[in-house]
Amino acid sequence: VRCQQYPPLRALQASAALRGASDEHKKEPWASSSQQHFDSPPAGHQPEQKPHPSYTGQGGQESEDYESEEQLQHRILTAALEFVPEHGWTAEAIAEGAKTLGLSVAAAGLFHSDGSELILHFVSECNTKLSELLKKEQKLVQLGEAEKKPTDEFLRDAVEARLRMLIPYIEKWPQALSVLLLPRNIPSSLNLLTSMIDDIWHYAGDQSTDFNWYTRRAVLTAIYNTTELVMMQDSSPGFEDTWRFLENRVADAMTMSNTASQVQSTGEAVVQGLMGAAVTVSN
Amino acid sequence: GAGAALRPCSTRVALEGINKPVIDRIIRVDHAGEYGANRIYAGQMAVLGRSSVGPVIQQMWNQEKDHLKKFNELMVAYRVRPTVLLPFWNVAGFVLGAGSALLGKKGAMACTVAVEESISEHYNNQIRTLIEEDPEKYKELLQVIKQFRDEEQEHHDIGLEHDAEATPAYSVLKTAIQLGCKAAIFLSERI
Repeated sequence: VRCQQYPPLRALQASAALRGASDEHKKEPWASSSQQHFDSPPAGHQPEQKPHPSYTGQGGQESEDYESEEQLQHRILTAALEFVPEHGWTAEAIAEGAKTLGLSVAAAGLFHSDGSELILHFVSECNTKLSELLKKEQKLVQLGEAEKKPTDEFLRDAVEARLRMLIPYIEKWPQALSVLLLPRNIPSSLNLLTSMIDDIWHYAGDQSTDFNWYTRRAVLTAIYNTTELVMMQDSSPGFEDTWRFLENRVADAMTMSNTASQVQSTGEAVVQGLMGAAVTVSN
Repeated sequence: GAGAALRPCSTRVALEGINKPVIDRIIRVDHAGEYGANRIYAGQMAVLGRSSVGPVIQQMWNQEKDHLKKFNELMVAYRVRPTVLLPFWNVAGFVLGAGSALLGKKGAMACTVAVEESISEHYNNQIRTLIEEDPEKYKELLQVIKQFRDEEQEHHDIGLEHDAEATPAYSVLKTAIQLGCKAAIFLSERI
């Protein structure tokens, strides 16, 4: 008789736990005892604890610590990152992360099995960290406490800072890259990539309002992507080969843009020379 | 989505709380429009610069240059991406200006009337949109667009004063140009 009661109980508990109606781990005793379902719940858990919110029909309990599903997912994914080096970008990592929050491992069911959301979450968090770092640096320059970096150095440092965030996860990053390239994920991953590159240029001081806007971002995107790939293959100490590659690519880009402007001014000079010659000849 | 934070930004304009997609479009298309108008007047000046209407066109061109400058500033402040079609408008605008000028002074004025009428209507639509959104939040932008709309309207009237309507095939020319403007606006808003 008891065995028949428990399955629906488990479902309710799992969904209640996932709904995240409270932050105070009131659900903890239930979640951690989900394994011990068919035994009586450990003594000491029941009497003192308040009744489980949604199970006892208090689902409308919306205190200040009511959290949205989005925020809950955010917390689970953040907690899951710790387990990625061991489990990869998988449901196992998410399950482990959920466990540390005192949630049921069924929480992993909220997400795709290929770890898409986990990877996108990670990329988004890294981009946010990068933006904050660049903003802080910009403040220092504005306050006069730091020198304004030349463009090539700025770009190099920004890309290096962003790529360094991959280091703890570098073993499993190739797997993440392939997931990011799945057709389903391409809109999101492309969006994250372009806004990161735009951010870097913005803080580098780019104020172009013509086609240069696109050229610069395309060039930086290429630099970032190729450097990322080099990093995957790099086994040198401290990834020094990668940073040297990055330095060379940025230098190439600077050279190309200098050459382009030289070509343009040469061209303009030639045109003026020809016009002058034409006027002379016509006279 | 989960983990998406407000983009931190340190430009003069507060980017939080504005309807970014709407403002993006508005600034992108207006920037493209002023850029195109600049090129049209440049084309007209290339042909009619030394004629009697040269000074008039030059003066209108100078105002368009100011408009473009203002939108360049707004574009940087609001972190808006320029339309990818700029190189195309560069050429198309110049060709339209020069082409209409080759039809004579009245042809150039007819082109001006057509374009400025399109732009005024377009600015009016944007003013309506912004007022519907939140006139307080977008006060500065509304002021700019209203002022520019008034100046474009002036250009339109100057064009009429200079016998634009006397151009041969005036209504055909005007319709064709306005159709082109509509297409340009549609595309520049999106790409």
